Amino acid sequence: MDAKTRDDLLGLFQSKLNEAMHFYLETCTRCGVCTEACHVHASMGQVRYIAAYRHEIIRRLYKKHFKARGKVWPSVGESKELTEMALDELYEAAYSCTGCRRCMMYCPFGIDTQMLMSIAKLLLIGANAEPETLTMLADMSIEKGKSIDIFKEGFINGLKRLEDEVVAKWRQEAGEAVIPVDVEGADLLYVALAGAHSIIPAAAIFNAAGEKWTLSFFEAVNFGAFVGDPTRTKLILDRIVNEALRLKVKEVCICECGTAFRVMKQLSGKHPFTVSSITDVHARYLKEGRIRLDKTKFNVPITYHDPCQIARNGGVIDAPRYILKQLTDDFRELAPEPAYNWCCGGGGGLVALGEDTLDFRMKSSRVKVDQVRGTGATILTTACENCHTQLSNLRDHYKMEVDVTFLSSMVADALVPA
Amino acid sequence: MSDDIKISKTFDLKGLACPMPVVKVSKGIKDVEVGDVIEAISTDPGSLTDIPAWARTTGNEVIKTEQDDKVIRFYIKRNA
Repeated sequence: MDAKTRDDLLGLFQSKLNEAMHFYLETCTRCGVCTEACHVHASMGQVRYIAAYRHEIIRRLYKKHFKARGKVWPSVGESKELTEMALDELYEAAYSCTGCRRCMMYCPFGIDTQMLMSIAKLLLIGANAEPETLTMLADMSIEKGKSIDIFKEGFINGLKRLEDEVVAKWRQEAGEAVIPVDVEGADLLYVALAGAHSIIPAAAIFNAAGEKWTLSFFEAVNFGAFVGDPTRTKLILDRIVNEALRLKVKEVCICECGTAFRVMKQLSGKHPFTVSSITDVHARYLKEGRIRLDKTKFNVPITYHDPCQIARNGGVIDAPRYILKQLTDDFRELAPEPAYNWCCGGGGGLVALGEDTLDFRMKSSRVKVDQVRGTGATILTTACENCHTQLSNLRDHYKMEVDVTFLSSMVADALVPA
Repeated sequence: MSDDIKISKTFDLKGLACPMPVVKVSKGIKDVEVGDVIEAISTDPGSLTDIPAWARTTGNEVIKTEQDDKVIRFYIKRNA
């Protein structure tokens, strides 16, 4: 690595060193409490997957380049030079971590592994060593924001093909829009994913609840956040923020996508609208009597996987349970404390990397399979696209006898007149 | 299917979860020669914005898009 490249990368490192990051880098006492917290370590048993080990890869670079003792006395200062080999270690640490923050729950100091891995991801971007698929996807999202006027008409025509399937779930009055788009003054802007499965059930439920809603032109997922690029993350967020401001909505409702929800809720700043997960919105409709569900529709044991970015990191824990109580009398918890639920093993961009990460995702999530099997449930439902894909992959790989569903789809299928 | 376009490879993207349609097209187009055309078949309305935006950022070209009641067909020329 030449001196200029190293200096540039250290500049990026420096840009991440806020007060919290200094605390995380200065505080670990190597107590070992985090050892069993990581699903990767619990499933694969390798030391490099312990949270404190991941931290140490960042910490030794920090000591070498930002601490006096590490600079002048490296062997005692436990410091390490930023080299090509160090970049390989950063990649291994960052892209074997799903950013689930289960380890943070165990750490007595609350050291945030996801934040520390954000340094690794930023350095990889600076060295052009990040997974190019994630950057490609982020750039696609940004381009959509720039060129939406060119694509609008085709998108609106494409939605018309879905209308019959929406009406099949909930009949609309003649003349009412089935999937409204670009409605100024709507109360709620729904931000879906590209897939029809993310739009059809949601539309039926909004219509059943009598919501004044409008569908976003943009997809909710933020690939800039997956790849750890603050600039791309903001550009992708801004598309939705600007659309919400233009339409003067009161609420932005994020579909079943964990990262999309957490990033929009926690990183988009203050706005004249609130940000909600679709699970929160559905629970609200049920509490207000705006929708009602047929409890006999799914007459089997059901368990629910809390997506890390929605539950542990986003605080949406009670809402899905409220919904499930309206759907079944046989709900079975995966973990005694939902905030300590095992990650599905697909977050942090790993699912988006598809077959490239499939073998690792299957090996590193064995504890999740054991947890699901332990419930005896035959429906495993969740509220995140990443989790759904990963759990479906696990079901196929480990031959689990369980249907993997989206919670919103179950709600839409169980709708009855309120 | 468009009769006037010579297709080198077809990708069935129907029902794939986000973001696999774009990932599969992005990787798959590298299997054909520059100048060749691939066909991508999708059921998701989001692909009507995703695929053209991806093409613009990668230097490839959506030369034709067809929609019927069931599917969306993209014809994409590899330029890069």
